[in-house]
Amino acid sequence: MLIVRIEEDAFLFDIPDVLREMVVDLARQLNEQIETDNPSLQRLFPTAYSNDPEKDAGYQILARGELVDGRRTSLTTVMETVDDDQIDGETLEAWMRVVNDLRLVMGTHLDISESDDWAPAPEQEISYAVYQSLSTLLHHIVEAQF
Amino acid sequence: MTAPMEVEQPDLDEDVDTDTPWQVLVWNDPINLMSYVTLVFQKLFGFSLEKATRLMMDVHEKGRATVSSGTRTEAEADVHRLHAYGLWATMEKAEG
Repeated sequence: MLIVRIEEDAFLFDIPDVLREMVVDLARQLNEQIETDNPSLQRLFPTAYSNDPEKDAGYQILARGELVDGRRTSLTTVMETVDDDQIDGETLEAWMRVVNDLRLVMGTHLDISESDDWAPAPEQEISYAVYQSLSTLLHHIVEAQF
Repeated sequence: MTAPMEVEQPDLDEDVDTDTPWQVLVWNDPINLMSYVTLVFQKLFGFSLEKATRLMMDVHEKGRATVSSGTRTEAEADVHRLHAYGLWATMEKAEG
């Protein structure tokens, strides 16, 4: 895998096809579910006022729609550029946001913890492997931008 | 004698912006990558790599860090931008 800046606003985006297919498949699923009340989505829409439910309700009314719209825009960009091997900074940013969102959803579903004791249950091992692949991809996307 | 002047009472409704600043906190979570959090701090707030890294380490080691402060409106805008990047951000009135 190689993601590297080749011009001011151009990045080489050389990632395995299997990873592209995986991301776009997960992106389609997230796009379909983003407005549902699936509990795995809760980290995409955090509480702003942790000790004031009334103010938070006001924030959620204003923010939720914009957060959904922004995520849909990034998801669409990823689905439209899944085959590209050279992308601009805005597209790389969309990939970064989507891959991170997918990690948040999967990590929430897996109930990931920083505890040394945490390990995926046997039935979670495939999902955890996907999660780790997303982590590797995100790491490369981030490093290319420093 | 002059007519009594109407004195404007300060609006004590905390829903309006006052001089009391609000703080934006980012909390540690087990999912976000340390490098990702550092990059987001740089992108959103224009911090140097050193400052962004220091704040990220505060989040990681102390459980939270204050990344910005301002009026309620400003803080809410920053929280919203952090939420768009998937960071766990909240806001509260600064103490004192």
